[in-house]
Amino acid sequence: MAVVTLNGLTKRYDRAHPAAAEDVDLEVADGEFMVLLGPSGCGKTTTLRMIAGLESITSGTLSIDGRVVNDVPARDRDIAMVFQSYALYPHMSVRDNMAFGLRRRQMPRAEIEQRVRDAAEILGLSTLMDRKPHALSGGQRQRVALGRAIVRDPKVFLFDEPLSNLDAALRVSTRSEIAALHRRLQATMIYVTHDQVEAMTLGSRICIMNAGRIAQVGRPMDVYRMPADTFVAGFLGNPPMNLIPATVTDAPGGRELRFGPNRVEVPAARTAPLEAGSAVTLGLRPEHLAPALDASDSAALWGEVVTVEPLGAETLVRVHLPEIADPVIVRAPGESEVAIGDRIGIRLDPSAAHVFHADGHSMTAAHHQARRG
Amino acid sequence: MRVATQSIVMAILCAYTMFAAGPFVWAAMLSLRTTSEIHLDHFALPDPMHWDKYPDAWFNSNYSIYFMNSLQVVVGAVILVTLIGAMAAHCLARYRFRLNRIIYFVLFSTIIFPPQVTIISLFQILVGYGLYNSKLGLMLVYVAIQLPLTVYILESFFARIPADLFDAARMDGYSDWAIFWRVALPVAMPAVTTTVILNFILLWNEFLFAVVLITDEANRTLPLGIQRFIGDTQEDIGMIATGLMIAIIPVIVVYAFFSEKLIQGMTAGAVK
Repeated sequence: MAVVTLNGLTKRYDRAHPAAAEDVDLEVADGEFMVLLGPSGCGKTTTLRMIAGLESITSGTLSIDGRVVNDVPARDRDIAMVFQSYALYPHMSVRDNMAFGLRRRQMPRAEIEQRVRDAAEILGLSTLMDRKPHALSGGQRQRVALGRAIVRDPKVFLFDEPLSNLDAALRVSTRSEIAALHRRLQATMIYVTHDQVEAMTLGSRICIMNAGRIAQVGRPMDVYRMPADTFVAGFLGNPPMNLIPATVTDAPGGRELRFGPNRVEVPAARTAPLEAGSAVTLGLRPEHLAPALDASDSAALWGEVVTVEPLGAETLVRVHLPEIADPVIVRAPGESEVAIGDRIGIRLDPSAAHVFHADGHSMTAAHHQARRG
Repeated sequence: MRVATQSIVMAILCAYTMFAAGPFVWAAMLSLRTTSEIHLDHFALPDPMHWDKYPDAWFNSNYSIYFMNSLQVVVGAVILVTLIGAMAAHCLARYRFRLNRIIYFVLFSTIIFPPQVTIISLFQILVGYGLYNSKLGLMLVYVAIQLPLTVYILESFFARIPADLFDAARMDGYSDWAIFWRVALPVAMPAVTTTVILNFILLWNEFLFAVVLITDEANRTLPLGIQRFIGDTQEDIGMIATGLMIAIIPVIVVYAFFSEKLIQGMTAGAVK
């Protein structure tokens, strides 16, 4: 088990292109399950590969348990990695795949066998030990890849999108296995994914990356409730947060955000640093909006339904608001009888609204931090 | 309808088999007949069968020496070209370095030169290094002429091995050298086998370089030995056929032993 510290970690392949990862500062605590989350090309895998020692570090320092390991080869970092493609050696049996790393360390044969046997039992692979990878299913292959990491008993486990090649059902069960594994081993784990469900369910903390930089680090629900900027707000959540360009105006009771003919009252403190007329982005989570079908309802917003997606337990309704380009997504109850073309009202809770500065940073999060501080 | 289709396919296959195997069967029949019998009737069945021609060729016509020479030169060259070719192909496919593609292009472009263009200069180089008329010299020339094709076949195969496999081996603690031997080479075995068979067959039958670079009786390879039966005024067709059959046997053995791997290597990646 170990503490992994990234200090200004940067990877630049050539001068002509932006850095793949830039100025990444992150500390992963001993025994923590850290998830690096972000869209394709955000630098999360590059960061993971730098930690693994598979990519050289352009600048910054990487430390494991306080020891700088920038120039330590991958084989001497005592790190195990599980790959997206499983990366099992096709010419070796399951047993040999798992024992391959231990043999390099010239461990006594009896101990190798013991470790491989223990890992196989944990992962339910005991009956498959003599099979070659091509004779295994996707889920079994991924378990062998996990086993190969476990037998090493490394300081740090790295996972590079390990579930993305599995079908939906298998993904759920393997996710639970990885969570159980972390509980059992209490090891430091760093997990890369673009799947926010994996991030939310597995991570002790999540680190959201965008364009090579860290956008926000925090506990999953903290990040969900209080996104640091519009990128995080739009990325985390399914469906994502509605982001509506608006203008701050003074109102008799405090402050209002206007967008087209619509207006939403927000707590004055959230827009306090801004002058009236400033451009901001209003963020509304779909679950904080509710449809109001009755024309006499005192709903805040009114618009026309453009799509209806019944999902069983809930129905996603996209509503076009006047003079707003993107429709607003409303999470309605499953039994809602809303049809395309209906004119409906949208009720909202102003206290759940997020306000983002023109540069994208959350004023809501800043306000909360100021209050806590 | 299905029977008709199958019959047509069978007829075509039979016709092709006769076309392909006919000369071989003919040579096999000739190998059991004497030259005077052959002159009487080119296509007659061997009656009686002169099996004694084989030990005669082997012991009295130096075929045992030619055979062992061929075996030494060709097996040595195939081992060397496979090792050097595999290492070069792995390096060109796996590592990013300056001039990677240029080295690959220069290496592969040598394939366009016909052997007649290089043979005089090769002759002079071998004389200069004291390797003329030696099995080692011929072996090195064979390595050089087969290297481009070997690297070409293996490079495309090595390039298809997922990079994650090498990364996994690095994480497992292995050096680049160990990864080549313990991961890359075993995974690429179908392609390696393909090159082994191709090189073996091509070099076993190689005549042009051998006839220019070897004149010593003790160092002659099989194709040169067979040539000895072709004189200025007459040729011993019967013994040539016997020699041919002796020469063909190792090729058949190698092919029978590795043919499955050869097909795997040639079709690797074609189907999932």
